This record gives sequence, structure tokens and C-alpha cells, in this order.
Amino acid sequence: MNVEISDVTRRFGRTQAVAGVSLRTGPGVFGLLGPNGAGKTTLLRMMATVVPPNSGQVRLLGRDPGGYGPRKEIRRRLGYLPQNLGYYPGFTVAQFVEYFALLKEMPPGRVPEAVATAIERVDLGGKARAKLRTLSGGMLRRAGIAQAIVNEPELLLLDEPTAGLDPEQRVAFRGLLRDLGEKATVIVSTHLVEDVGAACAQVALMNDGKIVFQGTPGELTARGEGTGAAGDAPLERGYSAVLAAARSARSGRPAGTAGTAA
Amino acid sequence: MTSRDEITRDSQPRECPPDVDLDRVWLGVAAQVWSRGPGRAERLAARALRSPGLARALVCTPSLLLGWVIASAVVLAAGTFATLGTGTPYVALFAPAVAGAGIAYAYGPGIDPAWELSQSMAVSDRMVLLVRVLAVFAVNAALGLTASAASGAAAAVTFGWLVPMTAVSALTLAAATVTRSPVAGAATGLAAWAITVLSVHSAAGQVTAAVSSPSLVLPYLAVAVAGSVIAWLATGRQKGTS
Repeated sequence: MNVEISDVTRRFGRTQAVAGVSLRTGPGVFGLLGPNGAGKTTLLRMMATVVPPNSGQVRLLGRDPGGYGPRKEIRRRLGYLPQNLGYYPGFTVAQFVEYFALLKEMPPGRVPEAVATAIERVDLGGKARAKLRTLSGGMLRRAGIAQAIVNEPELLLLDEPTAGLDPEQRVAFRGLLRDLGEKATVIVSTHLVEDVGAACAQVALMNDGKIVFQGTPGELTARGEGTGAAGDAPLERGYSAVLAAARSARSGRPAGTAGTAA
Repeated sequence: MTSRDEITRDSQPRECPPDVDLDRVWLGVAAQVWSRGPGRAERLAARALRSPGLARALVCTPSLLLGWVIASAVVLAAGTFATLGTGTPYVALFAPAVAGAGIAYAYGPGIDPAWELSQSMAVSDRMVLLVRVLAVFAVNAALGLTASAASGAAAAVTFGWLVPMTAVSALTLAAATVTRSPVAGAATGLAAWAITVLSVHSAAGQVTAAVSSPSLVLPYLAVAVAGSVIAWLATGRQKGTS
């Protein structure tokens, strides 16, 4: 198992962002779904070793990220695309990817080819020498994905990776995800249900800091059958049905009155 | 359309051998063309720090230059006015602590655009910060020492302010690398400076003795050199063991 999380909590002031999440997953593409504020980003940031949990156990790639040495080893093998990608506007795409390759402590001799490979994989070869400040939102997102995959990570964490991508790029990106998931554990946080259906073998749905469903996209789809839940596609109806059930269980009201909007 | 596509379409000869992997060839070319390649300063830094990542971080974030300049100008201006008004060298007394806090903020989540990403990197973001701090102060101190040969005023600024700041920075970096904790390093540096100011004050009876006593210049320089050497040795040891 590359990710072993047990009863993890994280609080920011009075807000309980993650409230007792347990998760185990190995290689493959894992989708993390949920409405805004469900706790997906916080869970991903904990897996990225950016914020520590307040309680519970986290083991990544067989190591405890609480210790300096193991954390460093994890980070060498980690790829992370934050929800809000920060960048230095004066850097070119290649400089940006190279910069983070070096900060991941890749052997310097391997860096140039790894950078070229990563940039080509996200189809940004034509913009490799363009300054980041000149790129569109979708291109910036792809530059962020390139820095995340430059070290061929064993654990790849992507927060809303398809935000800003056009439909053609999203289809290409799903292919890249499936490709990466053959060797690595890829965890994709998104609120776009169709991305999960197309690329993920496993999916978890979060609501109010908790995982309220975990299974395959097919199992999530089955939850929506015959419920009359909102949604244009079967998977969306499954998503809405699970979410409605979770909200009604929380409020003590029947699912029909708790609302199904995501 | 990617540049690879263009190259492939434009340059693929009809008689291209079937066993030639054009993707592979292109990646080799792109790797050479796109790579920034370290300059002389970066190569030197990489050798001294034994970390290409730290060296790149040190020489390669020009977008943060404005933040540095503004912070320095504000601290200098405020300190100079306070000093002129009271006759007490507040700049020298508080600059190490103020600069540390200001720089930490400049590279924190508020201003550093890539802060979130840097947090997940193998090269600690705070180690990057400490190396930058040391580099800036060391360069300033070196320039000040050079200027001191020509001007008495420059000597006062250099020995009363820049040299102590360099010493505190070097001590901070050394503690951070030895303990493998940038937080411990920063705490050590700030605590050491506070202890120095207070103990020299109680011995000499002057609040400003820590920055005005010529007898302390050599100890400060010794701490700066020792701290740098310890950090250099400790960085090497970490590299081999982690």
C-alpha cells in the first residue's frame, strides 16, 4: 500500500476540515470526489506532507512522514499539484519544471531529459521556452502537472488538475492519468464527476470532512439507480444520491428533503 | 501542435531508418535546448552547498527581488529615522531580528507564489530561506568591509550592523543543518542574538554595547566563519545519510 491513512483529523481554528478519515490505496488512479469544502484539499495537503494531521496515522510509501528523514524520502518520490498553483512569472516553462526537479533532489544529470519528457507528456513542447506569465490558465495547469510528474513519482497528488483545461486537453489528460496509474498511486481530487468516471479505478466521496463512500465508479453509479437523484449522467446521479443520503443522515431528515445539489 | 510534431513533420527524412525512435531523439534535443544550465555562480554555490537544488533556489528567484528591496528599504529608513531621532543605533540592535522576521514573511505563504509547492519539496523551503539570508548578509558584509577601507561611516555600519547580522545568520544556518530543523535553527539564532545583546548590556551598562563595541567584531566574524563551516560540513553529512 502506498497510502495508509487511519482515522486522521485536521482542524483549522474552529473548522474541522478532516474528521476521522481512513484510506488505503496502492498503485492505480484514485478519485477523490466531493462538494466544495468537503475536505478534499486538506486531505491531499496532508498526503503531500504540507500540513500534518492533528491526530491519526499517516504512512506514505511505507514511511512515516512525521520524521525528517522519512519525510524527505517521501518528498523525493512525490508529485504534487496544488489547487492554487503558485509560480514565478519570470520563469519559462522549462525553467519552472527544472527548478522543482532540482528541489526534489533528482540527480542533476538526469534533470534535462526528465524535464523535456514531462513537458512533452503534457503537450507543452511548443511553449517550453515561453515565460509563465504569457501562458493561458490551461497551459499553466499543464505546466503544473509537468512539474508534478517530472520525477516519475510513486505517489502523485493532483488537486483539481483539469481546471481550466479545454475538452480536448481533458481527454488527453485522462489518458495520461491512466498511463501514470499503471506504476504509481495517483490521487485526483476533483468535483468533476466525469473525470473520475473516465480515469479512476477507485473513488471516494467526501462530505463534511468524512468519507461517505468508497468503491469503484460502477458501484457509485449503482447507488443512484432508481433514486431519482439529480444528475445528467449515471455517475452524477450516484454522486448526488450518496451525498443526499449523507446529508440526510447528518441532519436527521429524509434524503428527499436534505437536498441533492453538489 | 507541439514542437516535436513540427520537427517530426519538417525534418523527418523519407529514408529515416525504421529503428530510429524519433520521440527519443527529440527528447534528447529538447533536453539540451530547453535546459537552463547552471551559470558559474550557481555551479560554485552547488559545490559549496553540496545541493544543486539549494544552489538553484539561491540564484534563481528573480521575481522575489522587489520584495527584498522593499523590505530592506523600509527597515533601513525606519531604523535610520529612529537612530537620528534618539541617538541610539536601533538599526543595528534590532536589524537581525527584524530582517529574519521580514524575510520569513517574504518567503512565506503571503508573498512567495510557489510557497505551497515548495512545502512539498525534498529540499526544505526553510533551508532555502536560511541559505538566502546568509548569502545576502554575507555579500552585504563583504561589500561593507570593502567600503570600510575608504570611509569611516561605512565601517561603523559594517561592523555595528552587517557583521553581527552575518554572524547570526551563519549561526542560524549551522544550527538548522546540525539539528535538521530550520525551526530550531531560527530559534537558536534569535535566542543567541537576544542573549548577546542582554549579556553585553549587563556587562558594559550600555544597551547598544553589542553593536558599538569594537572588541566584539572579531568574535562576530569568528562566529560567522565557524557557522558557515559547520553548516557546510553538516550539509555534506546529511547528503550522505538521508
